[in-house]
Amino acid sequence: MAWIVEDRLKQYQPTRSEPYLTAEIKSHIEQKYFPRYPRKQAALLPLFHTIMHTYGYIAPQAIDEAAEFLGISRAQVQDAVTFYEEFRLQPSGRYVVNVCRSISCELCGHQAVLNKIRDVFGIEPGETTEDNKFTVFEVECLGACEQAPCALVNEDLHGCIKPDAFASHLQALPDHPAAGH
Amino acid sequence: MAFAGPVLLKRIPDDPAKRKLINIEEYIATGGYESLRKAQSMTPDQIIQLVIDSNLRGRGGAGFPCGSKWKFLPKDIHPRYLAVNFDESEPGTFKDRYLTDYDPHVLLEGIAIAAYTNRIAVSYIYIRGEYHRQARILEKALEEAYARGIFGQKIPGTDIAHNCYVHRGAGAYICGEETGLLESLEGKRGWPRIKPPFPAIAGAFAKPTIINNVETLACLPYIIEHGADWFKAMGTASSAGPKLFGVSGLVNKPGVYEEELGIKMSTLIEKYAGGIKGGKYRAAIPGGVSMGVLGTDQYDAELDFDIGRKYNVLGLGTAGVIVMTDKTDLVVMLRNIVRFFAHESCGQCTPCREGTAWMHKMLNRIVAGYGKPHDFDLLMEVGLSMGSMPGTTICGLADGANWAVRTFLQKFPEDFKARLKSDQVQGVTLDAQAAAAV
Repeated sequence: MAWIVEDRLKQYQPTRSEPYLTAEIKSHIEQKYFPRYPRKQAALLPLFHTIMHTYGYIAPQAIDEAAEFLGISRAQVQDAVTFYEEFRLQPSGRYVVNVCRSISCELCGHQAVLNKIRDVFGIEPGETTEDNKFTVFEVECLGACEQAPCALVNEDLHGCIKPDAFASHLQALPDHPAAGH
Repeated sequence: MAFAGPVLLKRIPDDPAKRKLINIEEYIATGGYESLRKAQSMTPDQIIQLVIDSNLRGRGGAGFPCGSKWKFLPKDIHPRYLAVNFDESEPGTFKDRYLTDYDPHVLLEGIAIAAYTNRIAVSYIYIRGEYHRQARILEKALEEAYARGIFGQKIPGTDIAHNCYVHRGAGAYICGEETGLLESLEGKRGWPRIKPPFPAIAGAFAKPTIINNVETLACLPYIIEHGADWFKAMGTASSAGPKLFGVSGLVNKPGVYEEELGIKMSTLIEKYAGGIKGGKYRAAIPGGVSMGVLGTDQYDAELDFDIGRKYNVLGLGTAGVIVMTDKTDLVVMLRNIVRFFAHESCGQCTPCREGTAWMHKMLNRIVAGYGKPHDFDLLMEVGLSMGSMPGTTICGLADGANWAVRTFLQKFPEDFKARLKSDQVQGVTLDAQAAAAV
């Protein structure tokens, strides 16, 4: 993703008093990732993966805290974070369904998968269901073209999707994902 | 030419039901990590010479000779890094994922050999963010390898302790470009760097860095084990060795198949991938969408590093073959490809950022039925003007869009022109006769 256009005139305020980067997250990164790289900044991707995993999105305040933690400017953190598609700055549903739309999946009928999701859950790509259970995105190649059409539901890949069975599978998912996903 | 049977996939059964993750015990029991031991009894120069003799060329897309790449490292500048390019994001490419799904240790052994040869201090496996499962597999395999002392120990004959880590990307195709990968590894946005300096001189953290593809490294243990002549006996004069081919799209048995380089695409599709599904062959992408398209009369194209010169495509790329039939709408397929590049352009260079988006708009218009006759030439002109080969961009992403557009337009002009005949504006016919009839 190339860039995200922000309203620069909007005053930004931190939104909560307790930090997003808890002592636990900090010590995890310090112990596991800092020794791996000659510079702290290189731990930025692992740090934000951890934040995504913990909160499901990246709050502006988390960017401030990460800048301080990594010893770089906020601008540098924002510059990097907004580049990557997996780092989302808006909260999403508890299950994120990424449907692949690249060439092999389009050849094998990814549109039918999206149509089915639209019919069953009432959401188009980019939208979240009212109960906040599902968000669906259309994404570029997931690297599973032999299993086209495919989709990633949180961290689990689903291949050779039959739209009906896939929708039933999604409906049968527990309201909250198991820990670790 | 002699291909006796799978090399890289030798531990992975053909029957999907029998495939399972191979752990370190099973890997060692089938001869694993023997090549590393053998390599450590050789000098680095001997290994580099062996790799040069084997004519191993990079499997990630560019086909650069692996041994020559290693030779670029300046002497006596340390630490040195190895970045393993596992950012497999090109549509149609899934071979490295498949290999790692079942046999992760062959990659780790290749890394250990490359690290020994080049006196590498740290190897980073840069794996794309969407490969959650494969990242977990590699973490676990690394744990096993560390426990056996394959990593974390001093490289024999040096004071350099070699470590290997998994570094996850976060969803950006451009991070598969080698300098974009390095930027991402350093915790920045994945903007490719202007070269020179080349990564071998100043790469990750401004130190000498080698970047190799997963499959390239996975070839190393077998080259060490069997020698350069054995490796060269497979493939063609310019393209040696076995190769993983990913076949997807409209075939009956899509999947990853191993054959020697130089195999005909028709053989790959019919013998391995179960033939064309639901129609007749019309077009195919030879190796990931950036390589362009093969025409209807190029069904028998030999898949090797000379394919670009012989069949008017960019190259072999990642050897991810995508098959399309006579029922496929090629204009829609090109739109899909161009949208991919427009979406994944990093935005640094204007011709790529604006050009891909412009071409996407044009193709959207054509698909919607509002194409104008001059759109054909305009598409071609915009396409041809972008890329590192016309010299207008830093990296090769735009070349991918360039070649996709130019080969689709050159090889299937009638598909596009049929949609551009229209003399309509916003759905209103300008034809005088039709107007008179009303």
